[in-house]
Amino acid sequence: MPDVVKIFALSTCPYCRRTKRFLSEKNVEYEAVDVDLLDDAEQERVLEEIEEMTGRHSFPVVVVGSEIVVGHDEEKLKKVLGL
Amino acid sequence: MTDGPPARVFCPVCSARFPPKEDVAEGKLVRCSVCGQLLVLRAGNGEWSGERYAQLTDDEIRDRVNGFAGLRDYHFSEMKEEILEGLLAKRDAFGDFYCPCRVEHNSDYQCPCKPTRGGDVERHGKCHCGLFLKGMKRNRSALAI
Ligand SMILES: [Zn+2]
Repeated sequence: MPDVVKIFALSTCPYCRRTKRFLSEKNVEYEAVDVDLLDDAEQERVLEEIEEMTGRHSFPVVVVGSEIVVGHDEEKLKKVLGL
Repeated sequence: MTDGPPARVFCPVCSARFPPKEDVAEGKLVRCSVCGQLLVLRAGNGEWSGERYAQLTDDEIRDRVNGFAGLRDYHFSEMKEEILEGLLAKRDAFGDFYCPCRVEHNSDYQCPCKPTRGGDVERHGKCHCGLFLKGMKRNRSALAI
């Protein structure tokens, strides 16, 4: 079974939007979390998780198994998704 | 408030008190030299302050980012229109023009954000969201020759 693709995004961020669009165009199923729209407690928890993974608060963050891609980067996405 | 030049004008966007370039008068338009916001001058309790021109409209943020880029001699990312859309979405969802690529919503991250006002573009070549890029006009004209 392929890894679940998860994207942490901001609803207002154009790079996040491009990444979501790219995944959709490539018919990659993904689970998206718009961090800015979470309630305070949940947002804090997710931000901590992101900081642990990436060391910062930059968006989007795409998680594919053990691979993490920060920012909109089509070449890296292709590589980690085997496209 | 008529004796001598006023020392400063308070900008409600970036909270700076900046020295105006020209004479001030009630209702006159001036641009904040720190964040690029266009302001309508108002005489208040012993100091001049600015009222945000066209507050919270599409025109306001477009004029502000253009004004800021002009002040600093920056140019824009090819993502400019998409980033402006993000700024409008921030206004609609969170009340003001906060950086669309950040999760924080406070005056430090009003666009242009505090790190950008403080010289991030000079240091890193671009601001956090990549809207403002360091000017390369001189290089370009050098290449053109
Ligand atoms: Zn200002």
